[in-house]
Amino acid sequence: MEYGYYPGCSLTGSAHKLDVTLKKVFKKLGHTLKEIPDWNCCGAFEYGNRNELVGFSKSNLKKAEGFCNEIVAPCPACYKNLKEASKEEGKPVSILHPLDMFEYSDISSIQAKRDLKGRLFTPYYGCVLLRPEETAIKNKDIMEKVITLFGGEVDGEKVKDRCCGGNQFFINKWATERLSTLILDKTRGDLLVFCPLCHMALKTFSKNRKILYFTDMLLYLMGETNTL
Amino acid sequence: MQKIEKNCALQNEKIIELAGYKKEDFSVCLGCKICASVCTVNDLSINTNPQELLSSLFLGNTIEKDNPLVRYCTNCYRCTSACPWKIRIPEVVRALREDLGIESQFEKAFKGAISIWGRVYEPYVFLMSATFMLKEGYMQYMPKWLEYISFHLPHKTKRR
Repeated sequence: MEYGYYPGCSLTGSAHKLDVTLKKVFKKLGHTLKEIPDWNCCGAFEYGNRNELVGFSKSNLKKAEGFCNEIVAPCPACYKNLKEASKEEGKPVSILHPLDMFEYSDISSIQAKRDLKGRLFTPYYGCVLLRPEETAIKNKDIMEKVITLFGGEVDGEKVKDRCCGGNQFFINKWATERLSTLILDKTRGDLLVFCPLCHMALKTFSKNRKILYFTDMLLYLMGETNTL
Repeated sequence: MQKIEKNCALQNEKIIELAGYKKEDFSVCLGCKICASVCTVNDLSINTNPQELLSSLFLGNTIEKDNPLVRYCTNCYRCTSACPWKIRIPEVVRALREDLGIESQFEKAFKGAISIWGRVYEPYVFLMSATFMLKEGYMQYMPKWLEYISFHLPHKTKRR
């Protein structure tokens, strides 16, 4: 299937790896991602004026008109902002998060070339994928399912929805350090994330722990990469 | 004195509207303080009660710049999720920050990039917040960032 694609600013820079790996996963599953022409920033969490913030995403929905009916938005902030704008506008366009799309293509259909051999992982979703409820993803335990289905072990259930403090990173970094360290200390194994901001915050304070994007794991399972 | 109080009440109504709410939307708050028991800011050993901030806004009381929630809210929405009325307190805090003119050098650079290119261009944001980052010791993280950050030329989007 062909989907409209809204990468958002992070995926063109600091989360470039998520962009590359996600496209590979979609290609492998037989889907094409078509980037919305001339998309603009969603405003993330930086604007206090709600109308101004929603306006950014309304503009993106306009740019997607006639281009696609379904938009894939991997960055949690972009996903939330686009979803809110589309609700306000009453547009027929669907905003999809990749983690929810596994409903359509059953995870067990992944032609796994490898298994995880009992390796321990903490799937970490963070805040915006799970809250607020109106914009949250539906598959709230998809990462756990994939880990166990392919022979891995899961840890960190209690902190999977806690906050890494990423939004405070460039304001009060001690706060982010404290919150990220709390998560790192209360979990075991490598951390699996989907949010570029969580990735940055946790990686910055992780010392030697591995912080991986979920898509890295999928590519490893599919035999596209040799190390994880 | 009465005039000052009236001005504050009007100002608070403006803040509430900025967040996409009306004053009466906060009258439903039960004062249950569940927002305080789940607030991430309290994980930082800073005592804060989001419910107090909502009632201050509702009653027309002044909220200071150094209010811990105004300074440290992480936009985690744990309060919203727990609230019986699903009040989006992080968005109220953002409106307050905007009204109080609180903007870090990074936030200013972030918005600056959006107004120039329509997108966030990270090298610009880093450059514009360089003095802050140097002073606050962010450079120590550079080796870690360079492991995964990609550089590209800016793309200018059409005006909205």
